[in-house]
Amino acid sequence: MPAKAFSIEDGDLQTKSIITARQRQYVDIDLTFTKKTTGEIYKKTNAAAVKQAIKNLLLTNTTEKPFQPYFGGDLNRFLFSLSEDFDEEDMKDMIAAAIQNYEPRVRVKDIQVLILPDNHDAKVTVVFQIISTSEIVSLDVSIARLR
Amino acid sequence: MATIQSTDLDFDTIKTNLKTYLQAQSEFADYDFEASGLSNILDVLAYNTHINGLIANFATNESFLNTAQLRSSVVSHAEVLGYFPRSKTSSRATVNLDLTVADAGRPSSITLPAYTTFTTSIEDVTYTFQTLEDYIATDDGSGNYSFLNSSESANIEIVEGTLRTKTFIVGDVSDGQVYVIPDDTMDTATMKVDVYDTVSGSSFTTYTNLTRAVRITSTSTIYQVKEVPNGYFEVIFGDGSVLGQQPFPGNKIVITYLSTSADLANGGNSFTASNDVDVDGTDYTLSTTLVSASTGGAAKETISSIKNNATIAFASQQRMVTVEDYKAQILANYSSYITDVNAWGGNQNNPPVYGRVYVSLKFIDGLTDSQKQNIKDQIVTNLTNNLAIMSIDTVFSDPTNVYLELGTTFNFDPDLTNLTTRGIESLVTNAVNSYFTTNLQKFNKVFRRSSLLTEIDKLSPAILNSKMDVKVQLRLSPTVGTATNYNLYFPVSIASPDSISHKVVSSRFTYQGTTCVIRNVLGSNVLQVQTLAGTALVTNVGSYTTSTGIISLIAFNPSAIEGTEMKFSVIPANESTIRPLRSYVIDIDSGLSFARAIVDYQNTLTTLA
Repeated sequence: MPAKAFSIEDGDLQTKSIITARQRQYVDIDLTFTKKTTGEIYKKTNAAAVKQAIKNLLLTNTTEKPFQPYFGGDLNRFLFSLSEDFDEEDMKDMIAAAIQNYEPRVRVKDIQVLILPDNHDAKVTVVFQIISTSEIVSLDVSIARLR
Repeated sequence: MATIQSTDLDFDTIKTNLKTYLQAQSEFADYDFEASGLSNILDVLAYNTHINGLIANFATNESFLNTAQLRSSVVSHAEVLGYFPRSKTSSRATVNLDLTVADAGRPSSITLPAYTTFTTSIEDVTYTFQTLEDYIATDDGSGNYSFLNSSESANIEIVEGTLRTKTFIVGDVSDGQVYVIPDDTMDTATMKVDVYDTVSGSSFTTYTNLTRAVRITSTSTIYQVKEVPNGYFEVIFGDGSVLGQQPFPGNKIVITYLSTSADLANGGNSFTASNDVDVDGTDYTLSTTLVSASTGGAAKETISSIKNNATIAFASQQRMVTVEDYKAQILANYSSYITDVNAWGGNQNNPPVYGRVYVSLKFIDGLTDSQKQNIKDQIVTNLTNNLAIMSIDTVFSDPTNVYLELGTTFNFDPDLTNLTTRGIESLVTNAVNSYFTTNLQKFNKVFRRSSLLTEIDKLSPAILNSKMDVKVQLRLSPTVGTATNYNLYFPVSIASPDSISHKVVSSRFTYQGTTCVIRNVLGSNVLQVQTLAGTALVTNVGSYTTSTGIISLIAFNPSAIEGTEMKFSVIPANESTIRPLRSYVIDIDSGLSFARAIVDYQNTLTTLA
C-alpha cells in the first residue's frame, strides 16, 4: 500500500503552522496618560486594552458620548437613586447588554454585583473571555459616591 | 501618509475621516471599537471639528443679507443699505368727537389736549387709544362743539397704545453717549423727541426723524432711530458738524412714545372717552362717533420682508424716479396697510397720458374707503411731493380684478388611489385655488397654464394626464334702465371669431322682460343681445376688437341684472399665458371653474368601441 501524504498546497505542515485565527493586536492609548521617561505615553495592548475598554464602557453614562445616546453602562445612575432589591439584577442586565452591544471582542462569562447601600457603594466583577485568544480576564469595578 | 479631511460638518463623517487617517499607521489599532480609549479621543477631536465647522458655517451665513437667519443680522445688513425696518405699528381708528355745553357762559372754543385717552374692547380685552395732537372745537352757537383736525375735517385719528416716557441726561461727549430705549413694543412713528436745554428748565427743542428730513445742515435738529440687536431701539443724534446738531452735555432728552399692542388692537369699533372734558371747572362727557374701525396695527417687520424691502429701498435711494422706486418707497412706509403696489408711467396707458405716474395699491382687507383715501393722501404728501421728480403728478388707479374661468379635465385611474372620483376632483379644485393664492392675486403675476397643469399632474399617481380650458372674465356694473356706452379693456387679445363657438359670452340679465345674454355672432366680431335659445333681440349692441382685447357696448340698456355685476367671459387668443397689465390682478372665479375626472383604467383596446 502506498504511503499517504498531505497535500503540499498549504505548504509544509511540518515546518509552518496553519493560521486558524485572526492575529490582530489590540493596541490602545493608556487612558491614565502616564508618561514614559522618553516623554511618550504608555500603550495598552491585547487583554489589557480590552479590559480598559470594558471599564471605560461601564463607567460611561448614557447620552455622554456624542451622537451615541445609548452608549455606556450607565452604572452611575444607581448611585443617585434609592436602593431597591432588584438593583443588582438590573445592573447585571445593563452590563451584559452594554458589553454585547459595544464590545464585540469579548464574550461575558460571569457578572457579580454587590451593592452596599449603607456605604453608597457598589462593586462589580465582570469575567469575560477574549474571543481572539480565548483568554479569560476578570475586571473589578467599584463605584462610590464622593459626596 | 494620508491627510485628514476636516471640511465636513457631520460628526460621523468627520470621525470616519479620522479613522481612515489612523488606518495608515500601525501604532494604534483599536480605533474601530467604540469603547476604546482611542475612540474617546476621536470623539473629542471630531466633536471639536464638528462644532467649529458649524460655527464657521453659521457665521458665514450671517454675513450676508440673503442667507442671514438672525433678526439682528438682517437688521444690521439692512441698516448698511440705509433701510430701517418697521417697528411695531399701532392700530388707528377714526372718530368724530363732540361736546355739548349748555352753560350760557361757555367759551367760544375748547381745546382737546393731545394724549386724551379712549378705550375699546376686542374679544374681552380692553385697549387704550389716544389722540396724538391738540384738537380745537368752536361753539356752533347752540353749545355744540365738534372737534376738527388741521384740515378742518371732523375725522379725528386716535392711535392705540400706552404713553411712555424715557428721559436721558446728556453726559460728557467723550463718553460716547448711547441712548437706548429698552422697550420693543414701541411704535417709532409715534415717537416725539424733545431736547431740554437744562435738566430743570422748560425750554426745549423738538427734533425730527431723519427719514422726514429733506435737507441736513450742521444746525438741523434731527434724530435717527434704529433697532438694536436685542430688539430695543437706539436714538442717534447728529455729530454737531455736518450731520445735524448734537445735544450738549447737561441737556435733558425726553422721548415720549406709544407702547403698542400691534395687530391685537385691530377691529375696535366702539370707543369711549376715558375721562370727561373739563370746561371752566365743569366736567362734560365727550361723545364719540365711529367713522372707521381700528386697523393698521402690525407686528415688527418680518425678516423676510426686511430682506425683500432693504435691497429695493437701497436701489431707490430715497428718491422716486423709476417704477421700482415708487414700489419701494410706498411699501417701505405703508406696508402695514398695503400688501402690494404697482406703478407705471402714463405713457404706457392707452391712450398715453404724459407727465403722470399711475400707482395702483392693493390694500389689506377691512379698510374703509375713507381710510384708503387717507393713505393715498399721505403718500402724496409725505412721499411723492418730496421725493418725486417735479412736474410729475401721481394718479391712483384702483386695481382691476381680472378673473379666470378654468375648466380642468383629467384622466383618472381609480385603481391607483383610494380616492373616489368626487374626492380627486375636489383635490384638483383645491390645488387650483391654492395655486392662485400662492402664485397670483398680486400685481405683475403671470398665469401660465402649463405650470398649473404640472402641479395637477403631480398631485396623485392616479392622475394620468390633464387639460385646461381658460376663459378671461371682467365684470361690469351697468346702469339699469338707461342706455349707456361701455368699454371693457381685457389685458389680453381675444380669439378671432369663428363659426364654431362664441368667443364673448356674458352672464344672464333681463332685457325687456326676457332673460338674455350678450354673445358675439358666430364668425363675426359683432355683439348681440340674444335669448338663451339664441334668438337675437338686439342685433348689434357693440363689438369686440381681437388684437386690443376691447369690448365696446353701444347703448346697452338692461332692465335688470343678476347680482350686482355682469360677467363678460372671453376666450383669449393665447390660453397658455395670461399676462396682467398695469393695475390688473389675476384671480380665479371659483364659481365658474370646475375640475372633471374622466375614468381611465388604462386598458389597451384592440378595437375602438
